[in-house]
Amino acid sequence: MSAPAATPSREVTGYRIPSLGYRIVIAALKLIPSFVLLILLPVAALTFLGAHGVSLPISTYAVEVWGIALIAVGTARYISKPTAAFGPLSIAASTVSFLYLYYALSLSPYRLVVPGGSASLVAGYSMFLELMMIVPAIGIVVGILVTVEDVRSPKERLPFDFPA
Amino acid sequence: MSALVVPTHRRPPGIYRLARGLRWLSALVFVALLIFAATVGYSAFEVARSSPQSRGLTASFAPNGTIEIGGSFTLANPGYYPIQGLALTARISNETGVFLGEVGTGPTTIAPSATAVFPLALYLPVSTTGPSASLLTEDQYLGVDAWANATYAYLFPLSVALTENRSWGAPFEGFTVSVGTPSGGGGNITIPVTVAFRNDASFPTAGTLAFVIESALLTPCGGGSFTLGVPPGDSYDETENVALSPGCSPAGGHVSSTYSNGGTPVSLPPEGIP
Repeated sequence: MSAPAATPSREVTGYRIPSLGYRIVIAALKLIPSFVLLILLPVAALTFLGAHGVSLPISTYAVEVWGIALIAVGTARYISKPTAAFGPLSIAASTVSFLYLYYALSLSPYRLVVPGGSASLVAGYSMFLELMMIVPAIGIVVGILVTVEDVRSPKERLPFDFPA
Repeated sequence: MSALVVPTHRRPPGIYRLARGLRWLSALVFVALLIFAATVGYSAFEVARSSPQSRGLTASFAPNGTIEIGGSFTLANPGYYPIQGLALTARISNETGVFLGEVGTGPTTIAPSATAVFPLALYLPVSTTGPSASLLTEDQYLGVDAWANATYAYLFPLSVALTENRSWGAPFEGFTVSVGTPSGGGGNITIPVTVAFRNDASFPTAGTLAFVIESALLTPCGGGSFTLGVPPGDSYDETENVALSPGCSPAGGHVSSTYSNGGTPVSLPPEGIP
């Protein structure tokens, strides 16, 4: 008896995988908070501060580009969770996050000159970002582990990721 | 088909458990850092809202013949994290950009929920030849360059620089010593000496102003003194008749003045005699 198709059936004994359509709908719903947190709020904050003469080192364009990249790869990762692409996409999502933080790190320290030039502030935040980079670094390791597991024992994790 | 019939109650494989554990660790680190960042932001806002203040900035003649600018700088740290390695430095230059003096304090640490008061004392040497000479007789704007370095919440190094001009009121603004026409005869010749200035300083000009009339050959022809007690903002204009030494002509000479308030005398710019 041959193995089932690459995409697992919707319901099998031991685990229950949501349909592709369902996963797409959920991913689309998750886009809303992701969009708000990763793009809308940062851009609004940058615009507000810029309007009050406070320029931050990162541009709204960069926030939008990185935000779209994070959302896109995160959405693809979620949809692909039951498939063998989940591991590589987890690596990709964490790598994008890591690079985003690295980009922000390259902009440290932050220099603010008060309008009129009478006062200036230099604030370093590289150590904090370096700590933040631990999170995607762990994510990359997790993605590698998932990929290895999927290669060695395909679908082994499905009963635990999608218990019936 | 048997590969898909996996009982869910069995123990997850090791690699799965490792990945899940790391995922939890990652989430914990992320949440901890978010909470840390939020509390740092709140604490920093509270520090900024507490408004660092420089208080009681006063100027006066110091006993060592300098002008002392003293006061204190107060910084409250109402936040949750310490301000570490706080060092303050201020440099003062006169209107023409000549460096006059520097004052600094620290480095020190301000613990959370604590307030630190830094006493400041800057001594500006005054003499007729030094760069601070004009502080005695010329109102002007002094350039103040101040900066502070510190590390906040262990991870965030900060540097703040401030440049501003502070007005300076001279204690002998427009200082003049004028010598009038000699009068009398024989061995009793006197000459009127008039001292005039305005005290634009924030402190009273009190003490003694001694003067010496010297001839063109630097021979002392006579001298005298004025007792000063000029409140801030008041003018001073007094004349005193000085007996000249026999045979000594002040023409072409000059008048040297020295101010003393009990400490080291401070020389004022000499005035030529026509």
